[in-house]
Amino acid sequence: MSTYDLNFARWVYENVDGGDKMALCMQCGTCSGSCPLGAQMDYGPRKLFMMVRAGLKDKVLESNTLWNCVSCYNCVVRCPRQVPVKYVLHSLGTAAVRAGIPAATKSDNARFARAFWWSASKLGRTDERIVTALFYFSYGLSKGFKMAMANLPVALGLVKTKRMHIGAPYMCKNKGELKTILAKAAEIEARHAK
Amino acid sequence: MSERKTGVYLCSGCGIGEAVNMAALEAVAKSEFKLEPKCHALLCGDEGVGLIRADVEGGVNQVVVGACSSRVMADRFAFNTAMTIRADLREKVIWSHPAGDEDTQMLAEDHIRMALSHAPKVKQAEPWVEGNYSQRICVLGAGVTGLSAAKEAAALGHDVLLVERSSELGGHARLGSKRLPHKPPYDAPAENDLADLIKAVEGNSKITVKTNTTVTKTAGMPGKFAVTLSCGAVEDVGAIIIATGYRPYDPSKLGHLGYGASPDVVTNTQFEEMLKAGKPSRKSNGAAVKSVAFIQCAGSRDPNHLNYCSSVCCATSLKQALEVIHADPTANCYVVYSEMRTPGVAEELYRTAQKAGVIFIKGAVKAVDGDLTVHVADELIGENVPLKGLDMVVLATGMVPNSTNPDAAAQEYGQEQLNADIDPEAPIKVAGYCGEAPATVEKRVQAQPPGGSLLNLQYRQGPHLPVLHDGFADSHYICFPYETRRTGIYTCGPVRRPMDWAEAVEDSQGAVMKAIQAVRSASAGAALHPRVGDLSFPKVNLNQCTKCRRCTVECPFGAIDEDEKEYPQFNATRCRRCGTCMGACPVRTISFDNYSVEMLTTQIKAVKIPDEFSGKPRILIIACENDAIPALDMAAIKRHGWSAHVRILSVRCLGSVSLLCISDALSVGYDGVMLMGCKPGDDYQCHFVKGSAMAAERLSKIGETLKSMMLEPERVAQVEVSIADGERIAGVINTFVDQITAIGFNPFKGF
Amino acid sequence: MTKTMNYYPGCSSQGSGIHLDTSLKAVMGKFGISFREIEDWNCCGASVGHICQGHLPVAALSARNLAAAAAAGPEDVVSPCAACYLNTHHTNEEIRNNPEMKAEINEALGAVGKSYDGSLKVRHVCEVLVKDVGVEALKSKVTKPLTGLKVAGWVGCQTVRPFANTEAGGQWETYDEPSFLDDFINASGATAVPFKAKTKCCGGSVAVMSPDKTLELIKDILDEVKASGAQVVATPCPLCLTNMEMYQPEINKRYGTDFNFPVVFYSQLLALAFGMDAHKDAGLHQGLIPADVVVAAAK
Ligand code: SF4
Ligand code: SF4
Ligand code: SF4
Ligand code: SF4
Repeated sequence: MSTYDLNFARWVYENVDGGDKMALCMQCGTCSGSCPLGAQMDYGPRKLFMMVRAGLKDKVLESNTLWNCVSCYNCVVRCPRQVPVKYVLHSLGTAAVRAGIPAATKSDNARFARAFWWSASKLGRTDERIVTALFYFSYGLSKGFKMAMANLPVALGLVKTKRMHIGAPYMCKNKGELKTILAKAAEIEARHAK
Repeated sequence: MSERKTGVYLCSGCGIGEAVNMAALEAVAKSEFKLEPKCHALLCGDEGVGLIRADVEGGVNQVVVGACSSRVMADRFAFNTAMTIRADLREKVIWSHPAGDEDTQMLAEDHIRMALSHAPKVKQAEPWVEGNYSQRICVLGAGVTGLSAAKEAAALGHDVLLVERSSELGGHARLGSKRLPHKPPYDAPAENDLADLIKAVEGNSKITVKTNTTVTKTAGMPGKFAVTLSCGAVEDVGAIIIATGYRPYDPSKLGHLGYGASPDVVTNTQFEEMLKAGKPSRKSNGAAVKSVAFIQCAGSRDPNHLNYCSSVCCATSLKQALEVIHADPTANCYVVYSEMRTPGVAEELYRTAQKAGVIFIKGAVKAVDGDLTVHVADELIGENVPLKGLDMVVLATGMVPNSTNPDAAAQEYGQEQLNADIDPEAPIKVAGYCGEAPATVEKRVQAQPPGGSLLNLQYRQGPHLPVLHDGFADSHYICFPYETRRTGIYTCGPVRRPMDWAEAVEDSQGAVMKAIQAVRSASAGAALHPRVGDLSFPKVNLNQCTKCRRCTVECPFGAIDEDEKEYPQFNATRCRRCGTCMGACPVRTISFDNYSVEMLTTQIKAVKIPDEFSGKPRILIIACENDAIPALDMAAIKRHGWSAHVRILSVRCLGSVSLLCISDALSVGYDGVMLMGCKPGDDYQCHFVKGSAMAAERLSKIGETLKSMMLEPERVAQVEVSIADGERIAGVINTFVDQITAIGFNPFKGF
Repeated sequence: MTKTMNYYPGCSSQGSGIHLDTSLKAVMGKFGISFREIEDWNCCGASVGHICQGHLPVAALSARNLAAAAAAGPEDVVSPCAACYLNTHHTNEEIRNNPEMKAEINEALGAVGKSYDGSLKVRHVCEVLVKDVGVEALKSKVTKPLTGLKVAGWVGCQTVRPFANTEAGGQWETYDEPSFLDDFINASGATAVPFKAKTKCCGGSVAVMSPDKTLELIKDILDEVKASGAQVVATPCPLCLTNMEMYQPEINKRYGTDFNFPVVFYSQLLALAFGMDAHKDAGLHQGLIPADVVVAAAK
């Protein structure tokens, strides 16, 4: 059984993007009420924040709330206490992935993010073809193939209208420079995470 | 008074001249009253006022002005050597009724008749001034409130007698740690600066401090109180300020919140002392306090304990939590609340506490175990989550007002006191209540706070200051917050309502202003509000008195005592000039120089009552000058007109309405009578506290009388109006007129 | 008047949003504004970059672009893509306001001998059109008004949220009732119909990865389009456009609807109304759902 545990709340306040502001949440529920996907979330942001305070760490990190945010920023501009709700949720998502929570690492979002990051960091640009392909095949060969086939008409449409090109991906010229910067940034980031 | 010379002045300005026939008005004065009126097109202008003034200088000593409402231009129509009577032709005639109309004209003429008919009976008021008056102010209680009051009164030039029950000055603040924020940016606990306040009081030669002292007896009246102290001394003072503060709610009644289960469950007052002593440690084992839960509303807002919100415990817990965190930034603080009440700037402290990482848990505490586990039904998560690993639980207990002296033996309200204080909760039954009748509420027992009285008043109505049902001293919350129901005695600070340090300081200033007004008015023989400056006072003709005691019982302010022979004895400076005694007296032997039952009935009878064949009913509205008359004026200003069959009689208070006014009206042929006054009850708005309740009480007995006269009880009604009812009031009147029309004409008409 | 601005086109400019890039450059050219593309720009990280990386590496992506822009000149950085603008502006503000962030980002840039001090201003192209160009100027260039064309102006979320009404974001629009898009549409001679879903979200990248969760969001918006009587939807956001085009067949299948609304960029409407080539300049042949009704409206 859980108990109120300020340590988790303190950790969130200090390590999560916007977490310091989350301490000011007054539980008004404006965020949950404004959220387009609020109904599909295990808990709306308001409740999730109270759960953080109550120290319900596992429930928080396993919740699908972290993955159902579509980044519409309704909550961010409406929160009367200026809590950057969207940033907090996404950053909690990062924390969940780092903690190796299966619900997080296996989420569509994490798979997509890995594919996306591969393209963004390795090529310097996102190539929609590569990102989607990597994403689809992260589910395994056969499921990935099915997903790809389902999306074939769209892809063909994009190719036909010259919105998806055929051939080598666009990429940055100075990929080495980008790689160095990102490596350094990751190193600094790790310093924080400890 | 020298021979009466009455001048009549009519104004045709503001459209009066266009809406009514002025010549016909003048004719009323001439033919019916043998007075020669003067008409002017702008009576309130320099020329118009000059016209009156010239007459006054020429010997006119009573001026009757037919113009606007008495509530406006009062200063223009005030003259040193003449009294003024106003007849309203504007607000209650032409602004509320159609121009050029026959009924409007009849109304205007009746207003002239009402004014002129009673004018010969009105006398210039002569004040009651006798013997010596004290300007000194006695302050009871030397906590923050009392100290501030003493300091403030002395700064305004008055000598102060400061009486404190304990051996030291400072009250609760002396034992407390920091104080709640009181200056911008209001976001952090502030230094406890009580020592400065004490120094200012002790160093002030105008203030006499008496510690270890209580008041054993208080006699007299404003300007002339004789206060006997426990040391035996008798002190003359002009006014008294009660600043006895509060005591914390008795925690032994809070077993359900863990009090007594462990030494580490303490009250906020006890915790305050621990904080003052330094970094708090556990009482059980002396270990440092690393984790504290504050349980809000401990005993407050709980029908089984204190019914009300103690208002400061939320902010106090925030402050205490911040003090804990400031002493040890790694400490964990939780606040379990049902609503955090941080009105106004206290919100800043709330924010600071949130930023500092205090966790706020909205929910109900189900139990507190001996190991300090707090079981909370968390409303926001919707689960029961135990709060474990605490070192200390602080119960945010509330305030109980010291409206009595808890150390003294109880002085019960006598039976007569109970008579005097009609149960504020009692539902009011009026013969024909018009409009929505007040909901019937369950009768609650009048509060009788434990303990002895603070002042031991030597009043016929008993030793106590009347209290509201929650035990706070009764006062007019809306208009006169510092007033108690004993004139010249004021409450401030938490004895009046729960409040914090800064509010108490402000409150003390308000009470001091009132006390100063009281001593100054007393020595001039002038009334306090709402009839500020009124020099009239009740006079009784003892030859007619039957010793029925109605006046001594009904006076809302305990102004009337009884002498050895059981005759009423008026204490003039306690009197507020409401006339409730006048309305109570069955033989009508109480009157004022400028206000009497006779003056009222004369006005009532001056109205011309058309016969039943005219199809014009007449309905009398007796309206209180404090709220009903202003509301009628507001309605008129907005041109919300009402039936022209109504005649309005302005009274000081519904309490002053003798039943004779009503029976006279019905016997001369009015078809209905409506009393219009303030809300009675525990949340009364009556400016004289009980006046409208008294009227309702008297009216409740008139039904049988009406029936025996073969009259329908529905012909008489009472309605509540507030000063803000300008939009509603015309509708209320018209509904009543329709109701009376439906009943039909008064059979006594023309009898 | 000629004016150069640092231009950050973003990845979609080379893919599904290519016609935004083309038409916008054509429109801006009319006002003497030329875009200087940031040298060797990289992806901004969009709204998913941080999930596996954390905050700083994503910020570093934008920082590299900003450093390159600052090296080219002090002019404002503009972006036509909601996400690119949002990320770049956000990082820029962090560098300006958070000394710790600034130090860390510069430490990362320092690894390749670069730095950035937060001196540039990052703006959305639409803000430039509203404030620097002005709606009146847009009207003055119209030669072939799109008279009679009924358009639903769908702003989406990130173009205005969370910055359009902040001081640093230029305070150029409100979050819930933005009017700029309707102004652009009306300037083109077309009619912006009253439309209730103006700032509703399409689901963003979640729509791309988990369409099951978000189809209903787009369907709700399409319902409003239909209720508004519009013939076509105009938007400033490349992701909005692609999501709405791409998922209409799937929505029809699932909900039994018959949506077939062409979706275009406001800049395409303007380019066409300015008398430019419907294909070469306005890219109106590049919709997954043909926008012939738009082309036909220009007279
Ligand atoms: S809108 Fe802000 S304050 Fe309200 S519940 Fe959400 S985060 Fe808390
Ligand atoms: S930004 Fe995310 S959490 Fe906030 S309202 Fe939009 S979808 Fe919901
Ligand atoms: S009410 Fe009248 S009769 Fe009775 S005691 Fe008073 S003055 Fe006398
Ligand atoms: S006028 Fe009022 S206050 Fe004065 S003695 Fe009579 S009842 Fe009491």
